[in-house]
Amino acid sequence: MYERDTDVVVVGAGGDGPALAWRLGQLGIDVTILEAGPFYGNEKWEAPNDAPGGERSGDPSDLSGELYDEQFTSKEGDMNDPVTGKLRWGPADSDRPPWQRTVPQQALISQLSGVGGTTQHYYANHPRAFVTSVEDQPHWPIDYEELVPYYQLLEETHPVEPAPTTPKAEVFFEGARRAGYGLNDGYNVTESGYRPFPNAIPQPDERLMRDGGEEGDVGGNNTSEYRYPDYEGDTLAMHEHQGGPHPRDAPMRERARRSSNVSLVPRALDTGHVEIRPNAFATAILTEGGAAEEATGVEFRDTWAGTTERIHADVVVLAAGCIETPRLWLNSGLPDNGWVGRGLTTHHFDFVAGTFDPDTLEALIGQRAVEPHQGQAAGSRVDVPGKGGIAVNTFAPGITAMAMYAAAQGEWAFDRDTAGEPWDTAGRLAGRQLKEQMADYRRTLTLICHTDDRPRKENGVSIDETTEDEHGPVPLVEWEAHPEDDARRDDLARRAAEILEEAGAEHVHRTDAAPILLHMQSSMAMGKVLDTGCEAMDVSRLFVADHSALSNGVGGANPTHSGQALALRTAEAVADRYFDGVEDPIGSV
Amino acid sequence: MSHTRGTFAALVDALVPETPDLADRGDEHVPGGLAVGLEEEIIDRVNNFQEADGALAAAGYDATPMAPAVAVLLDTAAAELLVRRRSADGFNSPAEAFAGGPFSRLSRQDRLRALRLLEDEGVFPRLADRFDSAALGTIQFLASSLPILVEFVYYSEATADDGEERSLGWQQADYPGPSDGYAVGMGYEVEEFEENDY
Repeated sequence: MYERDTDVVVVGAGGDGPALAWRLGQLGIDVTILEAGPFYGNEKWEAPNDAPGGERSGDPSDLSGELYDEQFTSKEGDMNDPVTGKLRWGPADSDRPPWQRTVPQQALISQLSGVGGTTQHYYANHPRAFVTSVEDQPHWPIDYEELVPYYQLLEETHPVEPAPTTPKAEVFFEGARRAGYGLNDGYNVTESGYRPFPNAIPQPDERLMRDGGEEGDVGGNNTSEYRYPDYEGDTLAMHEHQGGPHPRDAPMRERARRSSNVSLVPRALDTGHVEIRPNAFATAILTEGGAAEEATGVEFRDTWAGTTERIHADVVVLAAGCIETPRLWLNSGLPDNGWVGRGLTTHHFDFVAGTFDPDTLEALIGQRAVEPHQGQAAGSRVDVPGKGGIAVNTFAPGITAMAMYAAAQGEWAFDRDTAGEPWDTAGRLAGRQLKEQMADYRRTLTLICHTDDRPRKENGVSIDETTEDEHGPVPLVEWEAHPEDDARRDDLARRAAEILEEAGAEHVHRTDAAPILLHMQSSMAMGKVLDTGCEAMDVSRLFVADHSALSNGVGGANPTHSGQALALRTAEAVADRYFDGVEDPIGSV
Repeated sequence: MSHTRGTFAALVDALVPETPDLADRGDEHVPGGLAVGLEEEIIDRVNNFQEADGALAAAGYDATPMAPAVAVLLDTAAAELLVRRRSADGFNSPAEAFAGGPFSRLSRQDRLRALRLLEDEGVFPRLADRFDSAALGTIQFLASSLPILVEFVYYSEATADDGEERSLGWQQADYPGPSDGYAVGMGYEVEEFEENDY
């Protein structure tokens, strides 16, 4: 068996692992990140879905914008198909099926393997946690102010900036104003209000303003013109879900949508202390010491060769996400205090769509369609602390049909009575009803509701001992809404319908979504499984640095910003406890 | 035509049918999933959904071909719908493209009601509940994945022919396809966020 040593081994190069690795690298600590999926945009893997390619990458000059352009086609079927797409939860080898989870219910899991993890298809939404979710809910053992310095560093680094207003955002803003919401213009959200999304997307060139832009072409599709280096920053192409590779022709680190593979991985590699090994699925945490257990390394399997290898390290960090981190823990036989894998929050999503008459839109935004496929995918939101958030969420047509109209629970729309409700139709659409709704795609504004659902012990991840794949027994994922979370979601859906109604929508549809596991938090929570430095209470030298470490669902705010902030803080805890300390800490650990 | 293909054709036809009534919105709105071979696309995906194990894996297969089993499940659900008198429209003669099984003989809406019995309320979800069986419960997950797959693939570019720029679904949604960008900025509601008190 091939074995080697390093200072810190990190399991998972998703949204948060690279943040921790970057900070450790800055502190001169050697880090190896094991990533189960492929590494797109890297010269060591020119055909990552067809051949094993290289073994590891630790040199930032391996990153290739040219390959990124070739691999990330912006086509939703090619990129997002849950079975065959390049962005899926599965091995790099496209001939093989996705990796299995046991999900004994109606649900959709939308998590990705690969360097960048689920941020590969995220919308770069970086709101901070709602203050009340940290200060007033009983879950967090640390204060909100302890997260703030890490938020600030990320806001400067990515950077995080207010999203530009676009026609679809203006429809939403106007609806929100008429519904009585004021403007929130601060990073720290304590009150209800509307605002542009704080997004990790550098703002677009001034020439991309609709009025006064040099093309003067409203909504023009200037396919070959908005390219690097002529254009830097966002090009308002709305392909975040397809990997967000714009502006085309740019080096990897200049792509506007700041997924962790674009923003944090290059910075981590720049330190000279970080290397990434893709196609490496961790199967066991190595420990020694019996009762006073201590982590010593990780065993993993090369997903192409099928060989098993080991890395020994002074510290092990799990950053494999809310499902695989507890699976790996449990499959390694580590102690379970009853909260390992439990307390999963999902933001209990719902969607509400409004379809507008062209004349209404003409008067409101000076154009006769919403044009959901233009501008940032999610650039405007309403915050409702204590309940959650409502945001514009727009997608290409296939994902619109899937999320808005197919992934619902309960009766089909044709069997539902909506009399007395603020929506005209609700539930899953099929047949003529679906085709009519989709024929109105360009006149439809789609909103998402992110519920502030609370951690509950009955929701989470355990092991399905009856089903095993090549990486051991598979995770068993169960999540059901508590009536209180259903009530919060219902409140948000009604507010969303009101905003659309106020903006003048002629038809409102509520999805009544089945559980969608995309935002996942708190399945290995600080305060339950982890101490305040995110080190495991029951196993020393073992830390967690992914969204599972969050103590709750951060109020319904998109979780990446909080996950990355906490990962930076955890890096400082690792350095402080097991290495030479931190001379100039970002915050206090 | 196999039982599997004919049953998936009946499923596709229930979700994205031909809609002659929509001709007034343009001729492109008339054809549905069967016109672009969507049932084959879905069968391919269902057959590549679950890793092979046991003898199948030992024989070198990557995936378990699940589509024939799913087609049988749909027939089972159709039978349950009829036995429990939940069918609104009763049995019909199946269309030529469909299989001869009970699922294919239901009306479009009844086919979807039958599918729903596999997700919730029907005999499989009830058994999964009673025996607290996660393995049985995965039928609920599988069943609810079907409309998601069908509607996603139909409205993505996947059914476009080689060389064709836009699929039928993209045409019906009037989606122009990928772009490098749009000049649609309208300024900023907030220039810069403040570090406000909390």
